[in-house]
Amino acid sequence: MVIKLKKKVIEIFNVLKEKNADYEASELTKELSIDYIVLMSAINDLIDVNLGKFEEDEIFQLSLNEEGISYLKNGLPERQLLNIFLKRNIKEIEIEELLKTSNLESNIFYIGLSNMKKNRWIAQSKATGETKIFLVAEKFPETELEKFLKRFEKKERINYSNLTKKEINQYNILNKRKLITKTKGTQRIISLTEKGKAIKPSEIEELKQVSKITSEMLSSGTWKDYQLKPFDVTKPGPLLKAGKLHPMVKLINEIREIFISLGFTEIRGPIVESAFFNFDALFQPQDHPAREMHDTFYLNNPKTAKLPEKDRVKAVKETHENGGDSGSLGWGYSWDEKIAKKTLLRTHTTATTIRRLAQYYRNNDVPPIKVFSIDRVFRNEKLDKSHLAEFTQIEGIVIGERVTLCDLIGVIKEFYNKIGFEKVITRPGFFPYTEPSMEIAVYYDKLGEWLEMGGSGIFRPEVTYPWGIKNPTRVLAWGLGLERLAMLKYERKDIRDLYINPIKWLRQESY
Amino acid sequence: MPTLELKIERLERLIGRKLDINELEYDLQWISLDLEDVNEEEQKIKVEYNPNRPDFSSPEGIARALKGYYEVELGLPSYTIIPGDVEMNVDPSVNKVRPYIVCGVIRDIDLDEDEVATLMNIQEQLHWAVGRDRKKVAIGVHDLDKISPPYRYLAVKPDSISFVPLHGDGYPMNLEEILLLHEKGIEYAHILEGKEVYPLLLDSNDEVISFPPIINGILTTVTDDTKNLFLDLTGTDYKAINLALNILSTMLADTGAKIESVKVNYQGDMGQIITPNLDPIKWEVNTDYINDYVGLNLSDSEMIKCFRKVRMDAKKSKKKGYLDIWIPAFRGDIIHPVDFTEECAIGYGYFNLPLTIREGCIGQYHPIESFANKIRTIMIGAGYLEVLNFMLTNTVKNYDYMRKKFKKSEILQIANPVSKEFDTARTALLPKLMETLLFNRSEEKPIRIFEVGDVIQLRPKEETGAIRELHLSAVSYYENSDFTEIRSTLDFIMSSLGYLEKFEIKPGKNTTYIDGRYGEIYMNGKKIGEIGEIHPEVLLNFKLEFPVAALELNLGSLI
Repeated sequence: MVIKLKKKVIEIFNVLKEKNADYEASELTKELSIDYIVLMSAINDLIDVNLGKFEEDEIFQLSLNEEGISYLKNGLPERQLLNIFLKRNIKEIEIEELLKTSNLESNIFYIGLSNMKKNRWIAQSKATGETKIFLVAEKFPETELEKFLKRFEKKERINYSNLTKKEINQYNILNKRKLITKTKGTQRIISLTEKGKAIKPSEIEELKQVSKITSEMLSSGTWKDYQLKPFDVTKPGPLLKAGKLHPMVKLINEIREIFISLGFTEIRGPIVESAFFNFDALFQPQDHPAREMHDTFYLNNPKTAKLPEKDRVKAVKETHENGGDSGSLGWGYSWDEKIAKKTLLRTHTTATTIRRLAQYYRNNDVPPIKVFSIDRVFRNEKLDKSHLAEFTQIEGIVIGERVTLCDLIGVIKEFYNKIGFEKVITRPGFFPYTEPSMEIAVYYDKLGEWLEMGGSGIFRPEVTYPWGIKNPTRVLAWGLGLERLAMLKYERKDIRDLYINPIKWLRQESY
Repeated sequence: MPTLELKIERLERLIGRKLDINELEYDLQWISLDLEDVNEEEQKIKVEYNPNRPDFSSPEGIARALKGYYEVELGLPSYTIIPGDVEMNVDPSVNKVRPYIVCGVIRDIDLDEDEVATLMNIQEQLHWAVGRDRKKVAIGVHDLDKISPPYRYLAVKPDSISFVPLHGDGYPMNLEEILLLHEKGIEYAHILEGKEVYPLLLDSNDEVISFPPIINGILTTVTDDTKNLFLDLTGTDYKAINLALNILSTMLADTGAKIESVKVNYQGDMGQIITPNLDPIKWEVNTDYINDYVGLNLSDSEMIKCFRKVRMDAKKSKKKGYLDIWIPAFRGDIIHPVDFTEECAIGYGYFNLPLTIREGCIGQYHPIESFANKIRTIMIGAGYLEVLNFMLTNTVKNYDYMRKKFKKSEILQIANPVSKEFDTARTALLPKLMETLLFNRSEEKPIRIFEVGDVIQLRPKEETGAIRELHLSAVSYYENSDFTEIRSTLDFIMSSLGYLEKFEIKPGKNTTYIDGRYGEIYMNGKKIGEIGEIHPEVLLNFKLEFPVAALELNLGSLI
């Protein structure tokens, strides 16, 4: 089997094979003058094919200090001094004179002198009153210490644990002479495996690697000769700036699908609405606090709206005043058309629902009719993290003959189950235009809490009679705020996030 | 929604049985009360009640309902009224300003601190819920023994009488001065605005009892020593003042005091009226109607029990298939037979109602919303990220920043915005997209965003004077965005819609865009949009650092 390796790896393998020795990684980088990372990537390739080995050990390393390195270059002081003797052919000399003429620094000079004595190269005499030294030896072979020092010519660092007993003695001498340091370090040893040592050059071939396939490589078939450089597949890619639906729109579409699947038809109505459809047609008395300025965006332009057909306006007026034909007592006040003509930004989608009732009247529609809307409504509020001046309401109604409160519970449970709430409670509530009324609470597993999630009821006769919807035909209705749902689903803390478009969120939100 | 704090111990005393907070937490919802807060330590709860039930504005009122729910006591709560001799004479002069008054006397009161607080609170709540902030109903509570009957209710000239008002500086003031200087006078002066005469209550010694609906005289201040109360309720709505009186006097009776009637003498048709009148109000209601509405099939006796549980009385009527139902005089929310359907359902228990499923109908998408989704799909395919903005905006951002001029008479104007942020509605989507870029300046580029949504256009001939119009706008923001890129986007949209051959772009002028790099989009001879590179001044207005290429289409004409 031929092994394919990259060009660089083969080069490194050949060096190792040639020397047939273990290498310290840093030595090898120096020898090949390559980066450590390049070397290690090559070694990893060798390890992958079981040709190379790599071991890492904690060791004590010896290295010469500055003075030691200068002696390695120039010889130990004793050798330097000896060379002066030999060069000048000196047999005996006074110490003072030797010092003066040697050109050596006095500390080196004396170190050299004392070690020459230790080596028994010279002797000293005071016979003539002056201190003289004599060469006593004839040969001056390399000393054990010099041999040890020379080991540092090849390697800057020597592993202490590899020293022989003899060498340890020499190390101790160098240590005493303060020429050597011992430091803790890591040794990275690179070597060949048995297989690596045995393999023949013919069994290794160069691997050609490229970063991408070109169309030329595909058409010529040369792609087979190349390996594609592998990627680090674990690393995330750069951010994709892609197109995506807004999370709210995603949610709206989901809810729209639920309504459609339940047989509801979507309706849309005016944003700029008349007080008539927003309030009066819902049997809200004209002096009701909810109609007051601070809750509703009234408009200066356009200032007034047209009212619908006269007889329907009259029917609504009479319902307010005395109940009309609805069987109600009414509110017992004098209804003012001018107030009903005021324009405003609709405060609920129920205004549009009433327009659907008006259409029912005009078209002579036949029940059952089911409609829904998911649309914007407006409240005159200051924005903060839990309040918006503009939000989205979800509303569904069923116009049916003999539809009951129990039917309403049925449709509500079906709807909320489909949204994802399994446990739904419907309890008594109050809304000015429904009777009976129900509040809807759902159990939210993530929080382990019951949350109020909408209101519902059967439209009061005072609301439906003016549009010809009379008992036993009734209108079931329920509604909820989309934002509440969105905040739960997308785990947002600040309701404003839903409409200020933090692009980071929009790009990343999962739905 | 109004709220009320309740001590468990007091509720227990009123109901006559032990209550468990957790149990109560569950039970209250079934009589239409929302638990706002639980304070286990002090054994207190805070409940929210609906504005149609002002009789829930006291612990006594809530206890009555709970007694029915727990079946401790069923049917109408009974109250005895002792006929009294106190008289109130109504002078016709009040017709011009505040025509109605009803009164009551409460004897042998023995209120603890908590009950006194309730008495103050219930007045506030009734002023708000029934009285429309004193306009329709104003309540006065007085120490009966400080004044001598008969009393008079009359209207006087603002400067004709002076007295020492409650919560004043202790000096006499005339009525005009009170409206100008007294704290309550300033607060409620608007109710008497434009009136030539002001209402006043005097006793037989011409001492001022009250200046309704503003402030009582200091003379009748209720103290710890007060034994007997005189209640006056004045207003513009005769039904409402009676309701408030009934709620107030039954609450006091439930604390152990005795109710005594007052003779209110009107001149003319009304004549003498004796109040409070706690006679229950009788309705005749068809049982099939109720069963059919709720979706039940209750027998007469079962249904009677439901009504008795919500503290009404009911029995079979002479008329076949009907029940006679009596509602307590403190309930003002029953105005139609349909109101009994809910009462019956509450008595039956909403938790007992079965659910039923009605089949039928085929769902249909709204064509505009369907089209909007189609456009979204196209834009996402083009690599644009969808954003969603408010329709509300202000003229600075919608016009000034965009280098557009506007006439106030031609734009939507909000009459009463609470914040300057919103004084009009958007007429195009582009300005909000520019704002979105501003908000996201530091995000990784390129930023390509779009919005599909409604704008508001004034149309004086339309029913409400304005229409909503579905638009699409898209912007591309990074160092190399230009006309060519946005033109490619437009071509992609138009070809996806099948209109590639049908639209054309005519060079034009627009202060928002750069001259020579702007065009108007036309289809079938009608302008349907704009496309171009945004003017550098506009970029700087939105603090942007790179060019923006933009388009805006009125989708209405494409559907």
